[in-house]
Amino acid sequence: MPKTKLPAVVSTFCLCFVFWLLLTWSFTAQEMIAGAVVSLAVALFTSHFFIHEDAFWLLRPAKLAALISYAFVFLAELVKANVDVAGRCFAGCKDVNPGIVKVPVDLKGDYAEDMLANSITLTPGTITLDIAEQDGKTWYYIHWIDVAETDREKAGELIKGRLEKEIRRIWE
Amino acid sequence: MRIVIDILIAVGFIFALAGAKGVIQMPDAFCRMQASTCITTLGILGVALGGALYAFFVLGSVGTGVKVLLLGLLILTINPIGAHSIAKGAYKSGVRPEKEMEIDDYGRDFHD
Repeated sequence: MPKTKLPAVVSTFCLCFVFWLLLTWSFTAQEMIAGAVVSLAVALFTSHFFIHEDAFWLLRPAKLAALISYAFVFLAELVKANVDVAGRCFAGCKDVNPGIVKVPVDLKGDYAEDMLANSITLTPGTITLDIAEQDGKTWYYIHWIDVAETDREKAGELIKGRLEKEIRRIWE
Repeated sequence: MRIVIDILIAVGFIFALAGAKGVIQMPDAFCRMQASTCITTLGILGVALGGALYAFFVLGSVGTGVKVLLLGLLILTINPIGAHSIAKGAYKSGVRPEKEMEIDDYGRDFHD
């Protein structure tokens, strides 16, 4: 088990405390002290699960800008896919052609892979079933509601779109 | 402002309706899950955004609006984990669509 490190504890504490403030939305001294105590306890016990790499990457302007631009790209993809799947549902659900494709992914680090897998799952029409490592490469198994392309590279381009590039900018 | 709020909530309802229709009518378990993602993404986002704007501008209560926005954000971050494990669990426990799938790389690589 990795050791608990001070920067990780500090950043986890900040995140927990911000969430506490947003959820209670009262700035009296009592509430804030209680929140600080609870956040500190949570941060001490869970920071080594939560932070593995640089604890303060979000404070670097380039990374923050990449995260914000990713949010907009992701929202655009989300709306596009939502309209597509909702159209299929209203058209009687007969126009589906499901299948599971294996797609190569070129990302480094657990966080980046996790983020891309979750983004793909969150987009209607594609669900990540599993992540496997073979021959030094990372592969996603993705259930796709409308298999337009069975070739792995091209299917990957269609599914991942611009998301992979944006996520690579955030984490590398 | 009221019109914008109404439009956002209506958009959320439309996508939730599409998702619900898909959950009932889609041909197999995996496609039904795909349809249900419609509800948890744009359905939730539209209603949450509309509700937050309503809280900010009509009720005048900032705390409620922030809570609703946080709720939307948390649903967006937590939902894919559940969707992924339900789909994987269904596949591993032997759920298959009635019609043959177009391509099944997962079944080819893990035939146990």
